[in-house]
Amino acid sequence: MTRLRLPKITLWRVLVGVIFAAGAWATYLRFVKGFEVATNMSNGQPWGIWVAVATLCGVGLSAGGFAIAGAVYLLGMERYRPVLRAAVIIAFLGYLSVVAGYAWELGLPWNFWHPLVMWNRSSVLFEVVWCIILYTMVLALEFSPALVERIPWAPVREWYLRWHHRILIALVLIGVLLSSLHQSFLGGLFIIFKGKMYPLWYSNYQTTLFYMSAIPAGMAMIIMALYLSVRSLNVRIDLRILDDFSRIITPILVIFALFRFADLYKQHALGYLFLPVEETAYFWLEMALFIAAPLVLFNLPRLRQQPIGLYWASAVLIAGFMVHRINVSITSLERATHAGYVPKWPEMAVTIMLVAAAVLAFRGAVLHLRIFPQTMQVAPPPLLLPRMTGQVFPARPSAAVN
Amino acid sequence: MKTKAMLIDITKCIGCRACEQICKEIHGFPQEHEPTLSATALTVVQERGDKFVRRMCMQCQDPACASACPVGALTKTAQGAVRYAGGKCIGCRYCMIACPFDVPKYEWSKLAPYVTKCDMCAERVLAGKPTACAEVCPVGATIFGDRDDLLAEAHKRIAENPAYVRKIYGEMEVGGTSVFFLSDVPFEELGFVTAPMTQPLPTLSAAALGEVPTVVLVGGSLLAGLYWFTQRRQQVAAAEAAEKEDKNVLRFRDKERS
Ligand code: SF4
Ligand code: SF4
Repeated sequence: MTRLRLPKITLWRVLVGVIFAAGAWATYLRFVKGFEVATNMSNGQPWGIWVAVATLCGVGLSAGGFAIAGAVYLLGMERYRPVLRAAVIIAFLGYLSVVAGYAWELGLPWNFWHPLVMWNRSSVLFEVVWCIILYTMVLALEFSPALVERIPWAPVREWYLRWHHRILIALVLIGVLLSSLHQSFLGGLFIIFKGKMYPLWYSNYQTTLFYMSAIPAGMAMIIMALYLSVRSLNVRIDLRILDDFSRIITPILVIFALFRFADLYKQHALGYLFLPVEETAYFWLEMALFIAAPLVLFNLPRLRQQPIGLYWASAVLIAGFMVHRINVSITSLERATHAGYVPKWPEMAVTIMLVAAAVLAFRGAVLHLRIFPQTMQVAPPPLLLPRMTGQVFPARPSAAVN
Repeated sequence: MKTKAMLIDITKCIGCRACEQICKEIHGFPQEHEPTLSATALTVVQERGDKFVRRMCMQCQDPACASACPVGALTKTAQGAVRYAGGKCIGCRYCMIACPFDVPKYEWSKLAPYVTKCDMCAERVLAGKPTACAEVCPVGATIFGDRDDLLAEAHKRIAENPAYVRKIYGEMEVGGTSVFFLSDVPFEELGFVTAPMTQPLPTLSAAALGEVPTVVLVGGSLLAGLYWFTQRRQQVAAAEAAEKEDKNVLRFRDKERS
């Protein structure tokens, strides 16, 4: 009966197999044949979707980590503690995939460590690189108890956790600062492109815009991940937390939209809003998916009541967020460069593979580590819990529970 | 060494492409003419109507490429040239987009690709020679010399001949460059970037970067303050709860005693 030992062939397994096979072939093309064969990047458009999606979206979508860590530890919002570890590991895996993506993106990836020793303090990219490296380390430390708990040797485990508890607040504080800096400086990268970018996307306040757009995107990402964990990984949390998160999204989106249009007014770009050119369509697509649709969806009482409604609303918001980042980094430059950039399949394949790897790692972590509170498994079914889930947990939890 | 520069007088250029060819020869590139700058064409002569316009790195005084590069692979040297140290480069290609003149190009077909751009014959100049293109130009349309002298010469030519456009391209652009152009046809008609940009681009990102210490200080104290506040609130709440508990216990004891 050897047949029984073979893993079951499911649609998902096939899909994962296809994704990694395509990613491997794309990787071969990138490193053995070079950029010219593997990508459509050119002198006109030297940054393709590896920057637009793998970096700009990847970092933005990981913003939930610092937001929720800050909320729980610095603002004392204990009711979010059950999803804290999930938020931190989502951010951690997000950053790992961003960093890994640079193996494909950089022309000379073996020199990746150069910014650590060759400093150029006037470069925005230099600041971004440093913040991302430091923040990834902070996330690793924030997350480390989930791994250390598994060490069977009690003295080591307890020593580490006690030590960790002492520096935790400092870590969270540094994490929030580093995140705020590089989330905004990702936008700051575009400030020096003045004169090249289409007026609908150039802004002196690109830093603020990037910061503000990352938070709703990061929240939406966490909503999606939590919903999926509950649906298919047998995780039990109070799904009303999702509703709480979605409440944060609306005001930030409104402020973002107001700021965006005030900024267009200030940059004298309002005249471009309705010009009959391609850019206009991309701009309004961004506005529709990132601002208008989420604002409507997240405020339909019918839809909010069901977690799956929040899930799909978040999916729309994330799509809009991706359009926004692609617009800033690619669409905005087309008119000046006439590059006509459309990603080649290996670029897509590598990007999808990075996402898939992060998703699989998240799944593995949820299944094998203590990401979600175990106590909940003996608690009554999650939807019947009283509103204040925080009550279930001690106000000053011990280090081991974290 | 005094800061060097080049002056290109479009009214004199005859389009012989000698500069283009000698540049390719020196760098060992294939000889055929390319329409735009590329990894194998650090300078090209383009036809615009009946004029010929040279394209090349402008050797900016405050170069956007150098300020953008995260590892400082591009630097403005005292001799005037903006030089590229391939050994430092990580291949992020930020410099290519940051350059307002679209100058740096990439070796897309190579497995270890580097950025390419004109460095105003830095080695030759260090050895006391003029740039190869200036040396080879048969009509003196491209000349090489001290930056101050060339600026003075350009002003003199404009003053003496009313046919020139009243502008030295490169004197003010992005804070000044080390390659100057003179023309008798408006520069925008020749494909030059003429959007108003007298400000060096690096000052824009410097303004944003200047906010880092403020963000860290203000943000840091704000967050620490918030933390202290929530801690305090929790302590007070805990103390109040404990007090209540104590009272209850006391009451309980009293009851027991009575
Ligand atoms: S023209 Fe471009 S490549 Fe040349 S120095 Fe200026 S910014 Fe750098
Ligand atoms: S491609 Fe090289 S030279 Fe250009 S900015 Fe990046 S590291 Fe610097």
